[in-house]
Amino acid sequence: MTDLKLQRVIKRYGDDQVVHGVDLDIREREFVVFVGPSGCGKSTLLRMIAGLESISDGDVHIGDTRVNDVPPGQRGVSMVFQNYALYPHMTVRENMSFGLRNIGTPENEIRQRVDEAAAILRIEPLLERRPRDMSGGQRQRVAIGRAIVRQPKVFLFDEPLSNLDAKLRVQMRIELARLHRQLEATMIYVTHDQVEAMTLADRMVVLRDGRIEQAGAPVDLYESPCNQFVAGFLGSPSMNFLPASVTDHDGNGVWVDLAAGGRLHVPRDASRVSRGDSVTVGLRPELVSPADDGVLSGSLDVVEHLGDQTLLYVRLGDDSTVIARDEGSSTHAAGDTVRLAFSDDACHLFDGDGRACPRLPHAAATA
Amino acid sequence: MSDATTGRRRADTGRIVTLTVLVIAAFLWLVPMIWVLAMSLKPNEVLMRTTAGLLPVPFTLDNFIQILNTAKVTRWFLNSIGVAVLMTGITLVLSSLGGYALARIPFRGARIMLIFIIAGLTVPEQAVFIPLDTMFASWHMNNTIIALVTPRLAVPFGVFLMMQFFKAVPKELEEAAILDNASRLKIFFKIMLPLARPALTTLGIFTFLYAWNDYLWPLVSATQENHYTITTGLASLQGNFAQSEGLGFLMATAVFASAPVLIVYLIFQRYIVQGIAMSSGK
Amino acid sequence: MATNSTSAPAAKGVADTERRRPRLSPDTVSGYGFLAPFLIVYLVFLVYPLFRGFYLSLHQWDLLAGPLGWTGLQNYQDLLTDPTFWTALGNTFYFVVLTVPLTTVLALVLALALSKPTRTNAVFRAIFFSSSIVSVTVVTLIWQMVLSPSRGILAQALGTVGIPPLDWLNDQHLAMLALVIATVWWSLGLPLMLFSAGLQQIPGDIYEAARLDNASGWRTFRYITWPALHRTTVLVVLIEIILHFQVFGQPFLMTKGGPAGSTRSLVQYIYESGFRDWHLGYASTGAMVLFVVMLIASLAQLHFSRKED
Repeated sequence: MTDLKLQRVIKRYGDDQVVHGVDLDIREREFVVFVGPSGCGKSTLLRMIAGLESISDGDVHIGDTRVNDVPPGQRGVSMVFQNYALYPHMTVRENMSFGLRNIGTPENEIRQRVDEAAAILRIEPLLERRPRDMSGGQRQRVAIGRAIVRQPKVFLFDEPLSNLDAKLRVQMRIELARLHRQLEATMIYVTHDQVEAMTLADRMVVLRDGRIEQAGAPVDLYESPCNQFVAGFLGSPSMNFLPASVTDHDGNGVWVDLAAGGRLHVPRDASRVSRGDSVTVGLRPELVSPADDGVLSGSLDVVEHLGDQTLLYVRLGDDSTVIARDEGSSTHAAGDTVRLAFSDDACHLFDGDGRACPRLPHAAATA
Repeated sequence: MSDATTGRRRADTGRIVTLTVLVIAAFLWLVPMIWVLAMSLKPNEVLMRTTAGLLPVPFTLDNFIQILNTAKVTRWFLNSIGVAVLMTGITLVLSSLGGYALARIPFRGARIMLIFIIAGLTVPEQAVFIPLDTMFASWHMNNTIIALVTPRLAVPFGVFLMMQFFKAVPKELEEAAILDNASRLKIFFKIMLPLARPALTTLGIFTFLYAWNDYLWPLVSATQENHYTITTGLASLQGNFAQSEGLGFLMATAVFASAPVLIVYLIFQRYIVQGIAMSSGK
Repeated sequence: MATNSTSAPAAKGVADTERRRPRLSPDTVSGYGFLAPFLIVYLVFLVYPLFRGFYLSLHQWDLLAGPLGWTGLQNYQDLLTDPTFWTALGNTFYFVVLTVPLTTVLALVLALALSKPTRTNAVFRAIFFSSSIVSVTVVTLIWQMVLSPSRGILAQALGTVGIPPLDWLNDQHLAMLALVIATVWWSLGLPLMLFSAGLQQIPGDIYEAARLDNASGWRTFRYITWPALHRTTVLVVLIEIILHFQVFGQPFLMTKGGPAGSTRSLVQYIYESGFRDWHLGYASTGAMVLFVVMLIASLAQLHFSRKED
């Protein structure tokens, strides 16, 4: 049973169209993350679901109800804002009770729900305090508590962790994951941080310029990105892109000449490409490591020692830079000449339009 | 090294000189008011001989006692209080409601309304006091407290100030309340107003001062002596002060007329300074 | 199931949700509902009187009887040929030309001297602002006393060094100056506060950079402070021009417009035409002229204050 359905949703500001016909089905109890660069429309989409922005065209259904014209407070959604939006002059308890009071919920039920939510989030000692007397992390919990109290069908989160410092962000991330399991609720989460997206999402929706680029489980998006944008967006450090041209192809894959020098055999479907086409080869840094028999060769520009790994920034023959990874502390130093190796399977192939060539059904043995 | 020390010494003497000049200037600035205050605390007979001296010696409270015994003066004072309190209270209500609507409610025609109201800031009271007087005259409502209060309620300054304030409140606060099923009225009373306390205080003080010190309109509208405010009443005393009541009495009336606004000023100074910054800055 | 988007053109059959929104949306109702109380007062007591004033200026009008006869633009013609009107206008200009620069410069100097946010400076500022709190009737009373040749404290002070007293308010050459002095004392507060606020908005690190660059006090003022204050100064000057052009209480109470009409202000002229001579229509004409002048100045002020947005 679908809990939330977006059909051909469009958003226009005057003559300017910012969301171009989005279709999405969200299941009950899913944790869906809208992720993408600023201006991609993720917040706009969220706010349209909440009712804070009008829907220019298309339909939004929550459950069986079409909610386009339903006022925000009656859609069965709760929202957690980036800046918490707590009522500054009310205590935590009053903040959490406000919404229920407005719809005439009896006082003892309000009290009960507030106490329960406070227990889940461990903010009982804060109940009589005011927002200005609390830290950012505490305020965020209260904001979440206020959302829980209303027992919504869908929880909406608009970049809730952006205002917290790095350590607190990691902590809250874990709490949110735990909360999702505990409440068994449908959650839609907006963030520009792909790490947050990857770790929290059951399903990730990558947006760019008002369109869905790809939607699916984080691991799927990471390993099988459908285009260069998604490939480059996920993963840190981001994927290496090596320009190349096609020399030959058959049922086993595609042969390419790298602009940086060297020839590769990529076990990918060749239906999109022909001889002579310009293509891009994608390589995740964690799958590229220094080796004496490597295909690529270049000089080491920068070495970053991270403790558990070392990142090597290697300049290739055509002046492009490739990032490679070495386990633990590397002995290589800036200025060294290194050779880099990787398996053929690790290569992604993108055609001239940036679209990914799919993997072959069974990866043929590399030549 | 010696350059630095002489430099510092030069700066220090400069600072002392500036400070001395400022102290003298501030003292001279206050002299007129101190002098008047001193005279108000001296007996009339003494003042007839000489008005010199900044200290109230010989001291007497007779002038002030006489004021409290003079019905018309106390009556003026009460009129002023009535006008000021009413004007302040009603202005706060009208301005906060209107200011919130213009700042936060996306209603059709809001832009036009805003321009229409801001245009009103260019109209000086002197351009409308005559037609206003004819209006009240034709309703036979001159010499009433309503006539004194209502024209001033129309000044757009209050709405403008409150609008600026409400605009600065984060939009998300309102959105959270909308999601919490709060009606506009509820949002206004339960969330916006409590937050607006400092702006309301500032506006209230400005309005109170303005109402208390208003001269032209009360002069025109309240022609009967028992309807004068303390401001117009004081002016009416100036003509014949030498003859009847006495200089001390006149000075005491001036002090009496200024006391409330000066007290409000001393207590709420902070708000006045903030208010000026708020309305001029953005 | 992962669903990829389709950049679909809006299907013709799907209704445009926004166009279907009813004309009388709850926002429109509440918007006007909140604005109504003020709007009503505003229309009745400001907008309507403005138009009525123009209407009045085209008539001969009695206070209680109403219009006595249409005179068209006769009033305007009479006004522009009335020498008293021109004297009053000239006096007002003269007053503004004397008062505004004096107040502005004095306020600027004080604001600079008191720019550091210390407790003493705050006290000083409070002192210089306190004179602005009292009403015009108190101010005129105070200064009439202060400047009195027989009993004033100024005459007494000057007398101790052998300077004979001046009859400020009865001397044709000194009367206007007396009004200016009293006005400067009374109105210094607002420009002082505006300049102080303007100075506070200048970020502190600019001054620190200037110190590192070895800028002297004068150079710092000329090249850093003054350019930053430019906009504030323009605003202050405009506000003051508008304020002092409307001067009424000071000439009316201190000199009654004399001696020989040398201090009569424009508003005083309007007031006297209306409430001493009872020519209300004619007085309205003067008021309309005043309004036009003020409108131009106010628009200039609004223009300059919006520019920074």
